[in-house]
Amino acid sequence: MAKDTNGYNIIGKPMAMTDARAKVTGLGKYADDLSVPGMLIGKILHSPHAHARIRSIDTSQAEALAGVKVTATGEDARNPYGILPIGHDERAFALGKALYIGDNIAAVAATTPEVAERALDLIRVDYEQLPGWFDPEESMKASSNWINEERPQNIEKEYHHVFGDPEKGFGEADFIAEERYYAGEVNQAAMEPHATLAVWEPDNRLTVHSSTQVPFYLHRTIAAVCEMPMSQIRVIKPLIGGGFGGKSEIIPLEVAACVLAKKARKPVKITYTREEVFLAHRGRPITIVYLKVGLSRAGKITAVQARVIQDGGAYCGYGPVTVLYSGALLGAIYDIANVQYDGFRVLTNKPACGAMRGHGTVNVRFAFESILDQLSHQAGLDPLEVRRRNLLKAPCITANSLRVTSYGLPECIEKVFERSGWAEKKGNLPYGKGVGMACSHYVSGAANPIIRSNMPHTTVHIKIDRDAAVTVYTGASEIGQGSDTMQVQIAAEILGVSTDRIKLVAADTELTPIDLGSYSSRVTFMAGNACLNAAKDMRDQIVAAVARKFGCAADDFEVKDGRISHKSDAGKSLSFDEAVTVALEFHGALVARGTYAPPETARGGKFKGAGVGPSPAYSYSAQVAEVTVDPETGQVRVDKIVAAHDCGKALNPLTVEGQIEGSVYMGFGQALQEDMIWKDGRLMNPSLLEYRIPATKENPEIESIIVESIDPEGPFGAKEAGEGSLAATIPAIANAIFDAVGVRINSTPITPDKILDALREKQKLASGNGANAANKPVAAGGRL
Amino acid sequence: MNKELTHLRVNGEEREIAITPNRLLLDALREDLGLTGSKRGCDDSSCGCCAVLIDGTPMLSCVALAASYEGREITTVEGLGGPGELDPVQEGYAEMGGAQCGYCTPGFMIATKALLDRNPDPTMDEIREALSGNLCRCTGYMQIYESVKYAIEKLRAKSATQAPATR
Amino acid sequence: MTLPAFRVLQPRTVEDAVRMLDEHRSDAMVIAGGTDVIPNLQMRLFTPRVLVDVKPLRELAVIEFSARQGLHIGATATLTHILETPWMRDKFAVLASAIGTVAGPLQRNMGTIGGNLCLETRCRWYNQSHFWRQSLGGCLKKDGDICHVAPGGKFCWAAWSGDSAPAFLALDAELEIASLSGTRRVPLREFYKNDGMDRIALARNELLTAVHVPAHMAGRRGVYQKLRVRDSIDYPLAGVAVAMEVDSAGICKDARVALSAVNPAPMLVTQAGESLIGRKWSLELAERVAHAAIQTGKPLTTSGSTPVYRRDMVRVFTRRALEETWKNGHGSA
Ligand SMILES: Cc1cc2nc3c(=O)[nH]c(=O)nc-3n(C[C@H](O)[C@H](O)[C@H](O)COP(=O)(O)OP(=O)(O)OC[C@H]3O[C@@H](n4cnc5c(N)ncnc54)[C@H](O)[C@@H]3O)c2cc1C
Ligand code: FES
Ligand code: FES
Repeated sequence: MAKDTNGYNIIGKPMAMTDARAKVTGLGKYADDLSVPGMLIGKILHSPHAHARIRSIDTSQAEALAGVKVTATGEDARNPYGILPIGHDERAFALGKALYIGDNIAAVAATTPEVAERALDLIRVDYEQLPGWFDPEESMKASSNWINEERPQNIEKEYHHVFGDPEKGFGEADFIAEERYYAGEVNQAAMEPHATLAVWEPDNRLTVHSSTQVPFYLHRTIAAVCEMPMSQIRVIKPLIGGGFGGKSEIIPLEVAACVLAKKARKPVKITYTREEVFLAHRGRPITIVYLKVGLSRAGKITAVQARVIQDGGAYCGYGPVTVLYSGALLGAIYDIANVQYDGFRVLTNKPACGAMRGHGTVNVRFAFESILDQLSHQAGLDPLEVRRRNLLKAPCITANSLRVTSYGLPECIEKVFERSGWAEKKGNLPYGKGVGMACSHYVSGAANPIIRSNMPHTTVHIKIDRDAAVTVYTGASEIGQGSDTMQVQIAAEILGVSTDRIKLVAADTELTPIDLGSYSSRVTFMAGNACLNAAKDMRDQIVAAVARKFGCAADDFEVKDGRISHKSDAGKSLSFDEAVTVALEFHGALVARGTYAPPETARGGKFKGAGVGPSPAYSYSAQVAEVTVDPETGQVRVDKIVAAHDCGKALNPLTVEGQIEGSVYMGFGQALQEDMIWKDGRLMNPSLLEYRIPATKENPEIESIIVESIDPEGPFGAKEAGEGSLAATIPAIANAIFDAVGVRINSTPITPDKILDALREKQKLASGNGANAANKPVAAGGRL
Repeated sequence: MNKELTHLRVNGEEREIAITPNRLLLDALREDLGLTGSKRGCDDSSCGCCAVLIDGTPMLSCVALAASYEGREITTVEGLGGPGELDPVQEGYAEMGGAQCGYCTPGFMIATKALLDRNPDPTMDEIREALSGNLCRCTGYMQIYESVKYAIEKLRAKSATQAPATR
Repeated sequence: MTLPAFRVLQPRTVEDAVRMLDEHRSDAMVIAGGTDVIPNLQMRLFTPRVLVDVKPLRELAVIEFSARQGLHIGATATLTHILETPWMRDKFAVLASAIGTVAGPLQRNMGTIGGNLCLETRCRWYNQSHFWRQSLGGCLKKDGDICHVAPGGKFCWAAWSGDSAPAFLALDAELEIASLSGTRRVPLREFYKNDGMDRIALARNELLTAVHVPAHMAGRRGVYQKLRVRDSIDYPLAGVAVAMEVDSAGICKDARVALSAVNPAPMLVTQAGESLIGRKWSLELAERVAHAAIQTGKPLTTSGSTPVYRRDMVRVFTRRALEETWKNGHGSA
């Protein structure tokens, strides 16, 4: 744990989360824990067909059932919505066509869940089935029967970027590798299934309690869908049982609950089953990466060319952003001058994908770090050394116009080099055991907001009144990552008081100023900075009043340990309580504010699609995985993962380590065992029994190492900690498997049968082509 | 379906509720008794979020029919610790990062409590085994182990100070 | 997901229970720990009007061993109770090994041995929600007339997915079954019908009351090897149980090998015993038995893993289980 605290009292010291007690006593409320008198239970009717025209819907029998209060269909809320302004293609309920198995067709609100379920069976829908598109590479060849008539050839969006001169770069390469990678689809699988309680108030307002990472986008969307002014709607975020991006756009149950509540003029709660969580999805898309990378004999990456196809599902969601992140982050971690990127977001008749932890970067990183390992071996170089030879020199601007202000990757690499015993282990372990390394990086929030504007990305208010309690009003959404605690720490540090004195009111559109939401790892950087600014504003107001009272200059005073004291005259000192009284007498009211918007210089280039990728700062991670592979069963045990993460400054080392470990865990799951298995658009494993997120016994030991590069613009130097480490884990494991048994598996999850197949293939080659071929690595090509 | 009066002993208190025979203990706790600390995370009894102690043994309240557990001693997360006081297990999960989003935490604490009640000095393997029926999506489990170790230390210190008194 | 409406009957004695079953016949279903029944009811895989809750029948929770009677485990003994019986691992190594792999500790604290031996068969086209199955028009086993695993066929391939049954088969166990007309004993190997739809030879008015293992099986070496993705929670994708008696000269005196999760029934590997008895350990011998095992195990695509891989693992696990048992098996020889 980082011990250096730079003289701070609170920043940099491990602190239990401020809501920990609410959680461990079971008294904290999550959305499904809420209920109000007269509350109805809503249930959604889902499409049983992957692609079908809806000829008619008859809800009359359902409505006649005792206990059913209202039903709703597409006709009740026709306005389209979507998280991106360019992708308003969803509606509360399907109008005209159902686009995937699970699409939302209608809903009922009834007195009990049992009645509501029975009512669903009574809704008659007449469908005309249409052929479905399930394979992205097939789908993008479609000449007719498009999923969305406004998206010819089922292509939601495509981007083509060239930086530098890739052709020249490949010309300079001594080694070129070209591979196809396939990453299976994964779901956030937050332990809390989504829930929304929409309360129709007696004064015809709507109060919505929802499991959301983006209460302020939800606010806008409900206003549009329900055709109500935003001023009549209040969105409150209760405790959230994990998000990981699965709650970072508008989820169908949220609009459904509101439409039902408005129609019934009653409170309506909808809670998803786990199956519905999978059907609402918004996870990481199936990604196919055709990747070509050139390396010089000296170990310098000379050029990169990638063609990336993402299977986005039936709706736009965050799709264009995902595919842009894949391009923007692909090469920008290293010093690479020549990059060509062709990215396609394709529609298929499956649930919409979204912004899962490590949004856009994870699957291309898997491909890139795998091929780099492969090239290193081809060149006879240590893969870790190859990374060292391709580092950026910060501060700098990357080939694709990303501004890098702090760059802890070199230190991350050295840390894992030491702690993993890389030098002794790499290439020296017995057959069946191996080590592999990989790096990753991520944004600390997007420099450009989803909805373009010149308004701040986040605002924090602080109020102090006669009780001398400090109340911080923040729009930032605590989803388990510790954002509330982070802001309490910052306010307490600046105001020189203990954290007990700080009260935090968060994520309530009626009480708190706006924050764009908990996604793209923006909260510590942005809300942290806004909170820092607000706290400084408050501190300055208090100090000004105290200084005036003593007839001194404000600069003469310092704020520390609950006192405002003259730096050289011990007699001139007030306790915080006394100072607040003085300040209230002077200012009348003690209200402070802080905002944050990324600086112009961080906002990236001017080309089409340049808006996604730029961030005020980037986090970095390097990891070494150590594995044991059973060559007879193909089973892999990950013995240990050493992960070093540059988070700028660990405001709270406890939560930073928790974020690194959680990211590594999720990467481990995707690497080896998580996979949404599709058959003709039907999800074969929509359950926690069959979609296998790791449990304790197979989960690796994780050693997390904090690296602090102190970013010049981050609050106290802090950057992102919650996502960046995920992406390195998958290729680190894949590379370790290669080190262990000499086969490369280019598709995730890396299941035992793929390893066995590759080992057999390798053996065939060896016996067929003589000894030479035995040493040639074998790639088990991507599936599909 | 007719409701029947059912007597449950929850967190040391006798509670009487009118429920249908198909009422799950999890729903009885959450809906009928307002004890929403026990969570539902899955449809197929595979996640452990709903775990409660029944006569000291951790069980899944999402597979238990409430009426079948009349007369048994049921302990939920709300029954750990005393008024205003945390059980060492709760303290461990709060202090050491064992609870990130906190949704899995009640189930993990129940499993931990049962483990430490029977085995105050478990090995790492025993801890992993005891918690292997609970899923957590946030922590990567490392800080959960730290939380358990914290509780072990706390309990050890407690019994050390109590031992002379009982002698 | 909600539960369908049903009544719950709580018998006080076994007699009570069988009377209730007899009275309600096809409307009734036994529930013990409920770890299989409740999720299945939520998915509406069946909708009995009456559940007969046998869990409180303490008389059925007994676990006993005597040199004369052998091992007796009452049907409502929980898996945890069996695992924690101090002598179990020494005397019946394969059983302890198998039961230790069932689900996770929370399920084992509730799940009973009776329920484990009477589990529903499993298939990825069947163990799905009402909505999911309806979207497909059901399957042969439930609400439909097509088998999605082997289309065209009229046979249900849903896989036996319990872990204790192969161990008991390897121990040549017998079941004790009660009905109004008294109790009967049936060898376990005759209990399973190898039909995904109609898995066990148990009439609707019968109750499984106990499982017996002959006394001479005590002390047999044995082990259960299970193929699964996670090290807990997961049902088996394949399972191999071996129980063996080896004399001081290292010669096999008796042996049984049984498989799980690769057929609609748990199955003894035919000829395994004959091949092994009277022999000393050799790799070729083990390979031969492993080969016999893949003649017995016929997995189809009933789960996420491929049949080819599962078959492969039946072979590898059989050889490894034999090796482990022979060379450093648990229990006294
Ligand atoms: C997440 C999860 C994972 C699981 N993983 C595994 C696994 O890996 N391996 C495994 O073997 N099992 C597994 N199971 C299933 C189950 O937990 C165990 O098999 C358990 O032993 C079943 O016992 P039970 O008492 O809960 O059965 P119940 O659910 O009560 O009953 C199961 C079946 O047996 C019948 N039955 C029960 N008792 C009797 C009796 N005395 N007479 C006649 N019929 C009876 C019931 O009618 C029902 O058909 C899993 C379950 C879950 C929820
Ligand atoms: S809710 Fe998942 S096991 Fe009970
Ligand atoms: S803390 Fe979030 S699931 Fe465990």
